[in-house]
Amino acid sequence: MIYFDNVTKVYGRDAVALENVNLGIEAGEFVFLVGASGSGKSTMMRLILKELEPSSGTISVNGVKLGAIPRRYVPKHRRNLGCVFQDYKLLPNKTAAENVAYAMEVTGQKRRAIRTKVPQILDLVGLKDKLDAFPGQLSGGEQQRVSIARAFVSQPPILIADEPTGNLDPDTSVGIMQLLHRINRIGTTVLVATHDREMVDVMRKRVVALEAGRVVRDKVRGGYANEV
Amino acid sequence: MKSSNWGFFLREAVKNLRLNMLMSFTAITTTAVCVTILGVALLVSAHIQGIIRNVGQDVTISAFFPENASQETIDGILSSVQGYPEVSESTYVSKEEALERWKETFSDQPDIASGIGSDVLPASIELQLNDPRDSGAVAEKLRSEGFEEGDLNYPQRTIDNLNWYTGYMVWALRVATLLFLIASILLISNAIRLSIFARRKEIEVMKLVGASDTFVRTPFVLEGLVQGLLGASLAAVVVVWANSLFVDWAQSYLFSVSSESVNAFGLMLILIAVGVLIGVAGSYFSVRRFLKV
Repeated sequence: MIYFDNVTKVYGRDAVALENVNLGIEAGEFVFLVGASGSGKSTMMRLILKELEPSSGTISVNGVKLGAIPRRYVPKHRRNLGCVFQDYKLLPNKTAAENVAYAMEVTGQKRRAIRTKVPQILDLVGLKDKLDAFPGQLSGGEQQRVSIARAFVSQPPILIADEPTGNLDPDTSVGIMQLLHRINRIGTTVLVATHDREMVDVMRKRVVALEAGRVVRDKVRGGYANEV
Repeated sequence: MKSSNWGFFLREAVKNLRLNMLMSFTAITTTAVCVTILGVALLVSAHIQGIIRNVGQDVTISAFFPENASQETIDGILSSVQGYPEVSESTYVSKEEALERWKETFSDQPDIASGIGSDVLPASIELQLNDPRDSGAVAEKLRSEGFEEGDLNYPQRTIDNLNWYTGYMVWALRVATLLFLIASILLISNAIRLSIFARRKEIEVMKLVGASDTFVRTPFVLEGLVQGLLGASLAAVVVVWANSLFVDWAQSYLFSVSSESVNAFGLMLILIAVGVLIGVAGSYFSVRRFLKV
């Protein structure tokens, strides 16, 4: 589903963010990408979104080589990817419902479909009563739920989350992770970049560890730290 | 683009205008001020050209007959003058008519008006020229008909100067108008760019959710259109209203200002078109800078 083939990314002249990364994520997997700040997690996320281009190597997502996608078709590529960010990235002038609806409007879906789907999905993430609340009126956890609802409303085959619990307290984080887990269970490939040690240890999923831009560990049903 | 999207775009544009009231207000005001200045420049240009045209049309050569000129000489000269190709109109002013005009001119000063008899003022012919530049040649012809230089009244020097000034003035005005136009474009697009800069994060988010460039851009361009339309309409109304005030005022004092120099409707259309164009182009290009996500 997502393949990194010998990918290197250098910022500017000599700031190496990723070095010869090889990684394959198959359909339906749930993968944690762990590592300290600056280890290259976010760079990988942004490469998958085609927000950045690799310095060398190839990335393919959904069977398409990203290097071959012309700029014009990048939006189409992104519609196959739900994304969740650490800072939620909600549109501040739109209500929770409108934020979710925007992701559907982007793909040109019918207003009637939008009107039935949006409340359903917000109900699913536990925000039935907050449809008309603006992001500023919601707590961090609630905003992240809206963001997940937006990422998932078009049922993309892949969902990527960059530090989705980075700004949240432990209890709220559990709720967010459960939500991602549920989304994975219905067949969505989920990639979560995080440095939330407890969460990773509890969930027992595949863990890919990055250190200074290199994959140093890749373990099925792993924990955050290196285990004996 | 799907036609069903237009409803969405329109709702987005209206909502954004309302939500970003202060920024919209800035853009609209800037547009209004700039377009007003541009309109005034166009007005001044049109009026000066109008005045020049009127003065040019007013150019008249008067030739005064000597005291002892016989009716035959007068008739002879009149008929030969009518054959001049440069002359569009010739009028004979008799002594009596000259006195009438004198009285009329000084009607509010009865002492001067009644102080003279019909013998004092000479008879004359007045010639209207097709082209003011021909006045020298026509004067030359009149001299050969027997008029003394002192009997001819033709503002050749004024006309020469006028032609010289007009050339420069028209060009100076064109340059000034062009500069105003450039300044307007820069100021207005700057105001729009500011309002879009304040929302660059939103644009980034829209792009990350999978919106195409067109999808993100269209509501912004519609906003620019509405802002340009509102600002320029305001300016157009102000300019046309100011023009009518000016013409009324000037006509009670000045000579050749006429309301016909300015096509008010055309001017309004031009100003509104300029405002809308700058609004649309300004927002189009401002958004483009933030679309590269």
